[in-house]
Amino acid sequence: MKKISILSLFFFSISSFVLAQIKIVTTTTDMKSIAEFIGGNKVSVTSIATGYQNPHFVDPKPSYIISLTKANLFVTVGLDLETGWSPQLLSSSRNTKIQKGTGGYVDASEGVNLLQVPTAANRAEGDIHIYGNPHYWLDPLNGKTIARNIANGLERVDPSNKPFYEANLVAFNNKIDIKLKEWQGKMAPYKGSKIIAYHNEWVYFETRFGLQIVDFMEPKPGIPPTPSQLVKVINEVTANKIRVIISSPYFTTSSSDVVSKQTGIKELTLATSVGAFDPVKDYFGLFDYNIDHLITVLK
Amino acid sequence: MKATPPPVTQQTRSSLSFNPDIGVIGDFRGSYISKGQKNFDFYLNETEVSLQAAVDPYARADFFLSFARDPETGKYGVEVEEGYLTTLSLPARLQLKVGRFRSAVGRVNTVHPHALPFIDMPNAYVNYFGEEGLKDEGLSLSWLLPTKAFYQEILFQVTSGYSESPAFARSEGNRMLYVGHLKNFFTINDDNTLELGLTGISGPNDSARVSNMGAIDLTYKWKPVKLNTYHSLTWQSEFYFNRADLMDNYSMSSFGMYSFIQYQLAKRWFLTGRYDYGQKPYDKTLTENAFSLTAGWYATEFSKLEFETKTTDDNIDKRFYQAWLRWIFVIGAHGAHQY
Repeated sequence: MKKISILSLFFFSISSFVLAQIKIVTTTTDMKSIAEFIGGNKVSVTSIATGYQNPHFVDPKPSYIISLTKANLFVTVGLDLETGWSPQLLSSSRNTKIQKGTGGYVDASEGVNLLQVPTAANRAEGDIHIYGNPHYWLDPLNGKTIARNIANGLERVDPSNKPFYEANLVAFNNKIDIKLKEWQGKMAPYKGSKIIAYHNEWVYFETRFGLQIVDFMEPKPGIPPTPSQLVKVINEVTANKIRVIISSPYFTTSSSDVVSKQTGIKELTLATSVGAFDPVKDYFGLFDYNIDHLITVLK
Repeated sequence: MKATPPPVTQQTRSSLSFNPDIGVIGDFRGSYISKGQKNFDFYLNETEVSLQAAVDPYARADFFLSFARDPETGKYGVEVEEGYLTTLSLPARLQLKVGRFRSAVGRVNTVHPHALPFIDMPNAYVNYFGEEGLKDEGLSLSWLLPTKAFYQEILFQVTSGYSESPAFARSEGNRMLYVGHLKNFFTINDDNTLELGLTGISGPNDSARVSNMGAIDLTYKWKPVKLNTYHSLTWQSEFYFNRADLMDNYSMSSFGMYSFIQYQLAKRWFLTGRYDYGQKPYDKTLTENAFSLTAGWYATEFSKLEFETKTTDDNIDKRFYQAWLRWIFVIGAHGAHQY
């Protein structure tokens, strides 16, 4: 017996040496990018969704389970954003270390000041999220909360490297502060600009950068644009001299094209996540891209 | 500029009670058949109530109760469609399921009918497993293979034969129903996937002897990651081979298959064409050939409307036609569907 336990100890120490890098699986690329800032060379991170994909509707392919079975840490955006696919993948993973409630499970939304929390859960309102609007990573200050949550998770599964993660967290937060000043400076001349959005996923971005979303192409979240909604939007665009419709890579532009043809309004597809377009390489690049492109059309 | 709303405290986010997630699915239908006395009908085919939650840190439980009208008596009755416990904490990539569950046969049998892209079940499937499919009570052990290049899962199920299927019966002795399934899932690239499944079933039949079945399922999917809610294509086929031992020195072999292609024309529109071929398990000279076409309009994730027409040619009777209309609607929690 003793021999076996010594042998297995030896085996485990070998395997933990080989597995030195903490394996992180995130649901989205934004979580991946922030996890890479905090984890540095101590981690290897994979994201299930791509940056140009609608995070509500990721298909739970069994192939995703392969990376989840070996993960040390699982990071989710939370707030029901991934409710249609990540719980199923997680329970199929057979990985007890990353289930909800364990140390390897990180809900990145913990502590975020949520916007648009509904007072009643009613599906007649379309795809509403009962905990609040889940697109909170589009406010760079919430990036700090996400980073804090990921650092907490990393320190739970890898306590020996706590000082390393804490140092990276400080560096990340400092960079957010510096970049936020720059972004807000660029956006300052356009404060209060009225815009139209395709889907209700920009409220955190809108609030942080002082934009004003007048209406959505979707009559209700998740309900495709209807002719009457297009008429309503066209009237609003004309009445308010609105300059731009912002959309996301995973929505078709056919209805925005109609409004654009009628009113001359510009259409702009923004990056909703890291990797949405080639130049959007990390979490900072996400705001660089969106703000630079917004400014060009608002000028 | 808007005033920043007050922060929401953490408490609102935790569920307020330990009630399970509850969902109710309605399945309303209209039907037409070209033969017989009664050609048109309307009925609430099924009301499914789902109750799902984690039991404790080690397991979760899923119950699906089905309220439906008995076709013979016309009275409503309740059936436990599925009710099982799934472990979440077994070592070595194992997962155990105990209770009543749909057997791991191919692709159609494991899916609840309301989630299928057609209204009637394939003929060959009904010939062997009945309209309700093969579901039984017992144990199911699944092992995720350590294959890195693609997904591989082996399932082994031992059940007691409560399923009232044409091919298998409950033994009066100690014989159990055994199901083995190997699932192979290949990611060709981000947009294209392929699944190949192999199933073996062995169990008692109603001649108090043994039937053995082999099945192959093959599914190709094209779903472009970027615009995955607008266009997609699925081509799925299953082939069933049955050998029923009926008397001394007499056994009957039979074959059946279906193949369908589903194409998503637009965000809400789906079109599915299916071909069925089946030999009757008790007499393989009786064959059925059927074609069907289903148009589906998916209003949201929570309701869909479908219309199916079907023509069947069997060599017993003359060709006949059928049509169905189905409206599926969900309230409450709605679990994810398998890919």
